[in-house]
Amino acid sequence: MIMYLILLHGLLAVVLLGGITHQAMAVAWPSRSKSGIANSYRATNSSIYTNANIVLYLATATLGGIIYPVYRVGVRTFLENARLMAATGSFELKEQFVAVGLGMLPLYWLLWNRPPEAGARPARIAVTLILCAIVWYGFLVGHILNNIRGLFGL
Amino acid sequence: MKMEKVFPVFAAAFAVIYQLAVYYNWALFTYHPKINEWQWLTQPAKNGPPMYWYGWLVTSLLGAGALSLVSWPLARRVSTQFWLGWVVPIVVGVIFLYLFRSFFLH
Repeated sequence: MIMYLILLHGLLAVVLLGGITHQAMAVAWPSRSKSGIANSYRATNSSIYTNANIVLYLATATLGGIIYPVYRVGVRTFLENARLMAATGSFELKEQFVAVGLGMLPLYWLLWNRPPEAGARPARIAVTLILCAIVWYGFLVGHILNNIRGLFGL
Repeated sequence: MKMEKVFPVFAAAFAVIYQLAVYYNWALFTYHPKINEWQWLTQPAKNGPPMYWYGWLVTSLLGAGALSLVSWPLARRVSTQFWLGWVVPIVVGVIFLYLFRSFFLH
């Protein structure tokens, strides 16, 4: 059962990664031209991703919370015994960053669902980029730790 | 006036309270995964490592919710301080990097 949940957690993270990266690129580096794949990628209507990204963030974090005890009891003990302190620390940072991101979700929703006020545009870009960075960091750390024995020949 | 004006305050308060909760271990409850047992507040290890993360999250959620409510009378009278909602989480993230530096400096 836990294997299926880990797979689902990873798949949801991939979808979230795609949505938030597309939105972040479009808001931080917009393009009016749709010529070529790079311009077309940046010229998307980025506001349509917001609600899906929020639902995906909550779902991925919730699933992560459900499978977290398996990591805490089994995987972290293995990492500590193997003296893989950087790997352990990377996951510690992941849990803190994801938590800080959870607190930013109401603001993220507000910034994308209300007409822009003074100061809202830089905040919209910053909040989206921060959430994008958190999702990328969480995905990479989760992926590497999930495969750490194979990746490092342990 | 809608409650939305306090969302930047909520994001900032959540990040700061979460940081304090991690640093001082203010968990509203503790989970013992090996024996599948929940206990109120911060408890020491019991047959396996304890988990405080869920408790820290709830502490931060309640604390940030309360602070947002308290700040609402002020927030409704001034322009929305959007910067609070992203500058403070960045600072908190940097402090976390500093606090966990020992993992990477071995």
